Amino acid sequence: MIHLAIVENDEDERFFMKEAFGASSSFQIVGEFGNGDHLLEWLENMPQQQPQLIVTDLNMPGKNGYDIIAEMHERRPQIRVIATSTSSISATRERCLRLGAREFLIKPDVFTEYEGFVSQVLDMVGPELAES
Amino acid sequence: MITNEVVFKHLSEGVLVLDTSGRIVSSNPAACDITGYSEDDIKGKPFHTLGSGDGDLFQYQYERDQALQHQKLVVEGWKVKQNGHKFWCETCYAPIFDEGRHGGFCVVLRDISERKQMQIELLASEERYRLMVEAVKDYSIFMLDPQGHIITWNDGGGLIQGYSESEVIGKHFSMFYTATDLIEKKPERELDIARDTGVYREEGWRVKKGGSLFWASVVLTALFNDQNKLIGYSKVTMDLTGRLQHEESLRLSEARYRSLVEQVGDYGIFILDTKGRIGSWNEGAKRIKGYTAQEVIGKYFSIFYPEEDILSGKPARELRIARATGKYEEEGWRLRKDGSRFWANIVITAVYDAEHLLTGFSKVTRDLTERKLAEQSLQARSDEYRQLVQELMNTNNALSAVNQELEEFTAIVSHDLKEPVRSVKSYLHLIEQQIAQQKYELISNSVVKSIKGTQRMQELIDNLLRYSQVSKTDLRREKLDLDDVLTEALQNLDDAIKKSGAQISKDITTRGLFGDRVQLAQLFQNLLANALKFTDGKAPEVSIRSWTESGEIRIVVSDNGIGIAQQHLEKVFGVFKKLHFASQYPGTGMGLAICKKVVERHNGRIWAESPPGQGASFHITVPFNEPNTV
Repeated sequence: MIHLAIVENDEDERFFMKEAFGASSSFQIVGEFGNGDHLLEWLENMPQQQPQLIVTDLNMPGKNGYDIIAEMHERRPQIRVIATSTSSISATRERCLRLGAREFLIKPDVFTEYEGFVSQVLDMVGPELAES
Repeated sequence: MITNEVVFKHLSEGVLVLDTSGRIVSSNPAACDITGYSEDDIKGKPFHTLGSGDGDLFQYQYERDQALQHQKLVVEGWKVKQNGHKFWCETCYAPIFDEGRHGGFCVVLRDISERKQMQIELLASEERYRLMVEAVKDYSIFMLDPQGHIITWNDGGGLIQGYSESEVIGKHFSMFYTATDLIEKKPERELDIARDTGVYREEGWRVKKGGSLFWASVVLTALFNDQNKLIGYSKVTMDLTGRLQHEESLRLSEARYRSLVEQVGDYGIFILDTKGRIGSWNEGAKRIKGYTAQEVIGKYFSIFYPEEDILSGKPARELRIARATGKYEEEGWRLRKDGSRFWANIVITAVYDAEHLLTGFSKVTRDLTERKLAEQSLQARSDEYRQLVQELMNTNNALSAVNQELEEFTAIVSHDLKEPVRSVKSYLHLIEQQIAQQKYELISNSVVKSIKGTQRMQELIDNLLRYSQVSKTDLRREKLDLDDVLTEALQNLDDAIKKSGAQISKDITTRGLFGDRVQLAQLFQNLLANALKFTDGKAPEVSIRSWTESGEIRIVVSDNGIGIAQQHLEKVFGVFKKLHFASQYPGTGMGLAICKKVVERHNGRIWAESPPGQGASFHITVPFNEPNTV
């Protein structure tokens, strides 16, 4: 089971993401947050179950996805970060990878189709997290 | 009692008495003085003891024989004193006869060394003069006797008149004169003048050997001896034909240069004397400056200078520099006769004679006005182009900036607009699923969510339109009363103000400003709306102040709300920038972006300040004066 934290400011979107990852037996959702400030605050308080992976939206009020990538890369490098957005601009992906994201994935066309997204994430980080 | 003894003793001449064999029998004190021997020392010694060399034994024997034979002998020669010094001695032998029998010689000695020395020097000196005169080649120098016959000749004579010494010695010097001069008895007249006045000089034609003429400079000097008696003449003759030819060619060359210079049309070339007075004038000077030669010759060259140059002493300074350094060169304004200016290149050169004395200056002037004008117009054109290039670059930069802004804007807008579209689309998909699964009770919620999505989309689009309207080029500028504008904004927010129970205070010391009424009302409405919205549940307290400072109007809108974190003070003005969750503080993230746009379009600045715990204040400065550009 991969311990996962989800960061997404849109409540509806976050709801569907949580549904999709929860439906997979490979993920255990250890936290869900509306922005980076909330996530970091939670991490600072030493949760019992630390996430191995964070899936985060980029554009959020307060600390955004880029802030989270940078912060994790610098202070908690053992936590992988996958950034996601509706943007398909290559510069966005490049910026994420440069800051230290494990990968950047485009969000599905509609909230109701997160299954494919979930299996994509699993294929990507499943093997390496199983090793560690 | 004067005896012969006494006379002998006091004779000033040295006297020795020799026996027949030449042995010294006696000597008087004068002889001892001359020879340096005492009477005792010399008595009994042979006379040749005073001689200077080995051969003297025979010499002295011979002299005695000669004296005996001729009753008297006077010889001169070197004698040696006791101390070894030589002296030139005149020796006068006279044989002595005692009752008809030869008894010896009386010898008178005279030390004539000094006289001899003078004689020797005179000879040497005369010889030197003779050699010198004879060797002179550039002058014919010879002596004439009082009647005019040639008695000496030199090399110069051989070269100038062409005769050798043997051909002329003894001849009359009239042989060098032309037939005309001879008829007029010129040679005799010249001798008379030289004799009467001491010297006769002239330049004139003389005849060489072979009859050809030469132009001669002649100096005839009368020579007188100690008794002031004419003993002859010296004549010095120089051949000036060469010099004449040289002078003639110089004259020709000068004339050529003069006509050359006079005809030069492109350069004003003229001579100044040491004081700066014009001494010559050429065609170019006339053409450039408009004066004729008659008008300027003799005038000071300062007439070509503008008044300020004359007052500052520039003409004199230029001459001073030319005198000190040999040359002065510059470009500057000069005046024509009609008073118009021309841009001149001038070179003043100091002119020296053969003795290196300053005789004046040459001045060369060129009219560069046309060239200068061409240069200027070229420069102006180049400046124009440079400015054009600069303007193009500025425009290009502005376009690039606008383009980049537009790209960012498009990226943000497309992203943010897509969100509600995607949301609506997602719920429609969900409704479809719910219908298929016959979960009708869930459909209602999905429809509500869809409607919220479309509402949000509409808000975003409305705000975007407002933002783009602010960006439109046609900004209306009119004189406004700040209070009126604020009142309009407050009226639009009337409901919200009442609902929140806000306290709004105004302290406006500057009221008049120029701008677009609609846009400025929007600006204040957005700022006030934020002040009412971002509260922590407290009743809002909002103050609006304005005053004038350094030519600008400062307007400050302050609240007692939640404030803004330091790191977000600039970010808040970004398009669709939101610091808070929509659930807590709903909005589109466009309000402050629009504010910033409005202020920038009014050539002002806007910024936020937020000391921790003291709410937020938005500061605006706009130029006070009526803008002259739109």
